[in-house]
This record gives sequence, structure tokens and C-alpha cells, in this order.
Amino acid sequence: MEISFICNGRKRMAAISGETRALDLLREDLNLTGTKEGCGKGECGACTILLDGKPVSSCLLPAAKLDGRNVLTIEGLKGDGGKLHPIQQAFLDSGAVQCGFCTPGMILSTKALLDNNPAPSVSEVEVALSGNICRCTGYGKIVEAVLLAAERLQVKI
Amino acid sequence: MSENKFSVIGKPQIKVDGTELVTGSAIFAGDLRFPGMLYGYAARAGVPAGKLKSVDVSKAVAVEGVVDVITSENIGGPNLMGIMPPFDQPVIAKGEIRYAGETIAFVVAESKRIAKKAALLVEADIEAYEPVLTVEEALADGARKIHPDGNVTFTRKLIKGDTAKGFEEADLILEDDFETSFQEHAYIEPEAVCVVPSGDNRLTVYASCQSPYHLRGQIAANIGLPMSKIKVIQAYTGGSFGGKDDVAAEIGILAGVAALRSGKPVMVAHDREESIIGSNFRHAIKIHYKTGLKNDGTITAREVKLLLDGGAYASESPFVVMKALIHAAGPYKIPNVFVESTAVYTNKTYAGAFRGFGVPQVTFAAESQLQEAADRLGLDALAIRRKNALRPGDATATSQVLNESVGIVQTIDAVGKRAAEIAAGSEDEADEQYLYGTGYASLIQGISNGAEGIDVVGASVQMSQDGSVLVGTGLTELGQGSRTVFAQIAAEVLGVPLDRVTARLVDTDSVHDSGATVASRATTTGGMAVFKAATEVKSSLLQMAALMFKTEAENIVLKEGFAVLVFDETARIPIPDVATAAYWTGFPLMNMAFSKAPDADYDHDTHQGKIYIAYNFGTHMMKIRVEKSTGKVEVLSHIASHDVGKVINPLGLTGQVEGASLIGYGLGHMEKIEYENGIIRNPNFADYAVPTIMDRIPTEVISVEEFNSTGPFGAKGVGEPPVAGATASFVNAISDAVGIRFRKIPVTRQDIMLALRNRGNQEE
Repeated sequence: MEISFICNGRKRMAAISGETRALDLLREDLNLTGTKEGCGKGECGACTILLDGKPVSSCLLPAAKLDGRNVLTIEGLKGDGGKLHPIQQAFLDSGAVQCGFCTPGMILSTKALLDNNPAPSVSEVEVALSGNICRCTGYGKIVEAVLLAAERLQVKI
Repeated sequence: MSENKFSVIGKPQIKVDGTELVTGSAIFAGDLRFPGMLYGYAARAGVPAGKLKSVDVSKAVAVEGVVDVITSENIGGPNLMGIMPPFDQPVIAKGEIRYAGETIAFVVAESKRIAKKAALLVEADIEAYEPVLTVEEALADGARKIHPDGNVTFTRKLIKGDTAKGFEEADLILEDDFETSFQEHAYIEPEAVCVVPSGDNRLTVYASCQSPYHLRGQIAANIGLPMSKIKVIQAYTGGSFGGKDDVAAEIGILAGVAALRSGKPVMVAHDREESIIGSNFRHAIKIHYKTGLKNDGTITAREVKLLLDGGAYASESPFVVMKALIHAAGPYKIPNVFVESTAVYTNKTYAGAFRGFGVPQVTFAAESQLQEAADRLGLDALAIRRKNALRPGDATATSQVLNESVGIVQTIDAVGKRAAEIAAGSEDEADEQYLYGTGYASLIQGISNGAEGIDVVGASVQMSQDGSVLVGTGLTELGQGSRTVFAQIAAEVLGVPLDRVTARLVDTDSVHDSGATVASRATTTGGMAVFKAATEVKSSLLQMAALMFKTEAENIVLKEGFAVLVFDETARIPIPDVATAAYWTGFPLMNMAFSKAPDADYDHDTHQGKIYIAYNFGTHMMKIRVEKSTGKVEVLSHIASHDVGKVINPLGLTGQVEGASLIGYGLGHMEKIEYENGIIRNPNFADYAVPTIMDRIPTEVISVEEFNSTGPFGAKGVGEPPVAGATASFVNAISDAVGIRFRKIPVTRQDIMLALRNRGNQEE
């Protein structure tokens, strides 16, 4: 079947089979390999994308469901003037990145949180990121990064 | 921490490879795409033990899109892999099945989906054996031999002094059994490798891996090519923790064979389930500890017996046997020690390297028993540790005299001071809803290979005419921040800003075989190699600058991007100008350094002698509360103090300690591979409990810096040691809270509920 959707601000068309997962479409057809596959079962969050602003596991999402929707992957996240997005910069500054494999999903889950809740509490951060597993950092610096990003984004507004 | 006289070292630095990771542009092995690329997928045994009579691949071959199905007959070389003797593991099983996840054939197809479907059609005629599932069964008289030489993989003893005499001197003797479980690495990136025939009669291997030189050697041997025909390039690697070594070689060999047969690039990217059932775990160990102490807490003797469940193949079991053996006495001065450490084969997924490498398991048992002794003797937890702690000039359990960098007492005192501050600020003791507990643990962890083998690292440092620097080593970036540390060292030596330095991923063509990135050795031994190479380049720059200043080289320093005259700091020449002049004058601007750590020197029967080039010491405190109605644990504070010699990158260091601590907490509280008749019941993240953000612990890091002369700027590694500290301090904290000594880990929420219920019943 043919689908069309907005991906990272660009209109995309794709011919897909019923079996195709959104993850495969993004990685294989659109070459957006920043979206990672960690478990294939929606348990780790490495494949998180934003669908109409909401975080979803693209490994569980049939590609057909993208039709007519707005998708953001890590490649589409940009800051002003060619800089990193403040969330990306906060992850670096806080040391919230080690191996980096969970990072794209973690950052997109953070974006979804901060778009809806610009000043989250620690427990709101925990809930928002509870579906994203990180094995390297112990999460402390990730929480710091989210709070730092929230602060910087608020100052900006 | 001491005053910092450095410009780059000791200051928090953002990861030099961070930008590509936060933008998703870093290329991991599974992200690679090559024209005509094929995909491989393994057919696995599915039964834990049996005689493999035949493998029928005809149905798989017939599937449209399948290009090749490889069996053990098609492996050109010996069909054997492994990091050390006895090299007992076939790449594809032949004749016998020894664990359920074992590969029996390898399907190569135009897509991963087709390969996976076809792999299910591979039929094996297996005459099932009764699987040998425990170390006791494996060692029983008349047990079926899993390997021709029997079921003992490797056994060693450590003998110091006379334990019988030591126990005679003791006022209190404790003797207990402890047990640990298999832990899965659970890096978020499953293993992946892509082998590309590179058109120059060589193969290029892009791998998510920990030890590219292991891959090069094992791929070459098994496909029958000279090692020089293989080039391994490390792809960005999504975590490893000891896990991407054996299995990275396994899939590298399989993809290599397939690439050679097809002439096409071949990708293998494991699914999560494959990553769990088909690659090594942390050893489950049955542990027996006997410790004798005087009434004042002085330890007089310790005897330890360890039975490591190594699963179906040796992997790194021999070295884990030794590391556990050497560390069983802890960071203490004990005159009489006897340890027997034995790894045993069972029909389960093999066990091997995992961050900590045997030390977390023995530290959990040792520190549990020491805490129980302190409680019985009425001694303070930190005081008993301080009393026995090694001091400079003391000898370890291997009789190695440590004259420098022995910061265990400092870590104990640092934790004591901070714990007192925390206690002063809290009032949360014994209420209706919660039970409170505090646990302490001290530890020692040998840095670098030591008794585990030769310790060499290659590094290259190259300055271009524009003054920018390229650093390469043979040790891998796995997320731990080694590229940043290497870049910092080069920047410090050459006096350039960090952003002028690029530290690249490993390419086996470009530097000396550096062995494996293991044993917390990257900063210590890798850093030394970079230091040496950078120092040679520095020498060229100083000689050139001396000509330019018309003075002697010793009158010049390199700093802030300039060659500066020491007499007059306003006299400075930009380093790019010096580099350009050096190039045109003929001073070498590239150096390939080779760094070799001092050899271990010890008696192999008693393990007495010099074992490691340095030791990391640590003390942890964990304060928890347990909800009585649910058994839910909440960690209120966790202090982790380690003697790291010298902090190179505080940001990276705290990240290492925090991350390792949560892995230790998972080992102590949550994680366990569950078997049923030799089949893993929880090969996924729904059933295997990897700590999530909800489970995180509030680790506070306190660094102690006792200069280590074997590391760059005095540094020594810290990647592994916190695992042991977190596990052991957690078990002491939960035992304190519940009032029951737990001797088996993980101590899960269910275990805690059961203990609370039993305790309630007894109280009634």
C-alpha cells in the first residue's frame, strides 16, 4: 500500500507491505538510522519516535499507521541556527550520554515531556522516561539533563 | 582532591564523541548499508544437551531469497573459538549440543526477515541427553562429561600462611554459604557485525565489539585467511560491559565465512532474545566463606571455596576463576588465607566476562560475613574495615607489597564523614510504614590484565601541520569515555585545546595489537600509551620551537596552543606554526607508541606474588528503606568512594561510578536469568528485570586520589570496581533493615516479602 506522511518536516511517500514496521520504514527506506532497535518488543524504548508529538515505540507500530501523520525522529531535532537542540546540549553537558544507543529515544521522550510540561517534577521525569532503558549511566545524569533542558528552554521563552 | 595544575586533565569534559550520539548520526554496526548486502541469522539448537546426529538444511535452502546456509562443514578453519585455552567452543555445533542457544546452522538471505524465517526450517536430528544443570550435578561421581576432559573447566588455589593456625588464634569464627545468580549484560544495542569483501583481497569487519584484535584473530583462523588479510574497524558500540567479545567473534566468523562464500557484504544483527540466550552471562557462583576474627575485629584467617557455574564453554572462566580467587580476601591485611576457585561446565549458556569479573560475587559474600562478624562483636561497620584495611607497605593476600596508591583507609574515612553528615540531616528511623537499613562494603579490584596475561597497548599520536591532533589506540570506546580520556591526555601533553584533538575508533590496521578492552585498563594502560606517543611528538615540537626561539628545548613549554618561552610568557609561537616548521624541517610529527605494563610474577600453585600493576580501592554506603506492606525498596542514599589515583575527567568518572553502581544494585536486588530444564525462561526485558529510571539509586561519588605511578598523570581505572561495592552494600543494607542475613542474590522484592512474612509469623 501507498502511504504519505510528514517526517521531520518533509512530506514523504512510501510503498509498504502490511508486515512493515514503522521502524523498518524509517531505517531501511528513509535511511533514518538514528532510530534504534534494542528489543523489537516495545520494552526498551530505543526505537522511540514522536508521532504527532507523542512518544511511541516504532518497533510495535505498523508503518501503515504513519499515513497522514506527523513523525519526528532524532534526525529532525534541531536547535536554532544550526546548533544542537537545547535537550541535546543538556544531555551532553550533564554527561547523560555514554554509549549513546538509548540516547535518541531518551531525547525524544524528553522532548514529548517538555513540550507538554515545561517544568516537570523529578517524578514526572521518571514517569515520562520509564519506558526508555539505559544500561550505562544509572539514570542520575539523565534526570539532571532533562531538568537542565527544561530550565534552559523556559529561559528561552 | 589536590589542587589541579593541569589545563585539561582533571576538569569535566563533555564526551568528544557526544555530538554524533545525541544527533543520531553515529553509525553503529547495524546501521551500515552496502550494495548487495546479505543478512545472516542463526538456527539454534533449542535443547540444552544432546548428540547432534545430523542437520538438514534443505527446507531452508529452498526458501526464496535464501542465498546460502552454512553448517559446521563449511567453516574453513578449525571451527573453534575462544579467548584462551582450552578453546573448546565450536562456532557451529558439531556432534554435540551443549547449550540450548548454540548455533547449528547459519542462514544467509537477502533480508533479515527471510533469513530468520528460513532459520526456523533448519531441522536437526538430536538425540537428547539429560542436561547437567547444576555445579553439583556436574561434579557428582559418574556425571556425564560435557567435554572430553570432564566437567572441571579450570581450578586454582591461593595459599598464604597457615589458616589452621589463624583460626586457632580467632575468638570468633563464622562459616557460611552464599550464592549468586547469572546476570545478563543487557547493553541496549544487541550484538552486530558487518563483514565486507573490500575488493583488495581482504575482508573489512565493522563490529560492535570490545576487542577488535580478538575478532581479527578468530575470524582469520576460522575462515583460513592470514590475519593480515582481515581489518577490523570498531563501529560505534552500544555498551559491552564484558559481553561483546566471544559473541562478537562468533558472529564475525559466521559473517566472514558467508562473505567469503558469497563475495558480498554480510550483516548479522542479533535480536534481543539471541543476545540473551546466545551470549555470555556473569557467573553464578556457589560461595563458601569461613573467617576467623579476634574480639577487636582483627581478621586472623579466611578460607574460601568458590564453585563457578561456567555454562557450556570455557569463555573467560579461567580468568574469572583467578580474579575471584585473588580478590576473595578483600582489601584487608589477612595473614592466613586459603582460597580454592573452580569453574565447572553445565549445559547452560556460557558464562564469561562481565564488568567486575568475579569480584562482585566474592565481595558480596566477604562483606556480608564481615558485617555479620562486626554485628556479633559489637563493632562499628567502618571501624572493623578500617582496622583490617591495607596500608602502604602492607601485603595483599597474594603477598604483593603495595607501596603506593593504597587509598582504602581514605575511602573509609570519606564515607564515614559523609555518612555522618547524612545521618545528622535525617530523622527517618523506624516508623509504621517502613523499615530502615544501612549497609557498608569495602573492596579491592586489580587494574588491568595482571595475572590474566600480557599487558600491551599500542597508540598513535599524529599532529598535522595545522596543529590539530589525531589520536588512535587499540582499546575501544564502549560508552565509558575512553576516547575523551585519550584526547585529554594528548591535549595536556601537547598543550593544545581539547577541541583540536580527534580520538578515533579502533582500526586494527593502524596500531599495535592491544589485546582486549577489559579489566578497567583503558585509562591506565591505554592512557600510558597515548602519553608516550604524545610525548614523542611533543619532543619534536620543542626541538623545532627551540630552533625558532634560538634557545634550548628545556626553556620552552607547550600550553594554550602555543610554544611559550619559560622566561617570558609573552614570547610565544602558535603551535600550528611550530608544527608546520617541524614538518618542513624534518622533525617527525607522528609517533606509534607501544606501552607494556610490568609483568605479573607469581607462583601458579599458590598465587603468591605480584599480580596487578595497580589496585582500585573503594568503600560504599547504602541507606535504604523497605515498605513493610509491599517489600518495595527505596535507596535513600548511596555513597561510593573510590581511590582512582588521579581523576582525568570528573564528568566521565562520576558517570562510570553511577552506571556501575546501578549494575551492582541490579545484581544484588533485581536481575536473574531463570532456567527451566536448561531453557532460559526470561530472554526479554519484560521478564528479565533491567533497572529502569524508577529503580535508579542516588549515587554520590567521592574520589580519593592516591598517585599511581603505572598510570597517566597517576590515574588508575574505575570502570568495574563500583559494581562490587553497590552489590555488597545493598545486601548489608537490606539485611540490616529486615533483620535477617540474606546470603543469596538477588534479594528480590519477593524474597523480602517472604522474609517479612516469616518474621511476622515468628513474632506472632
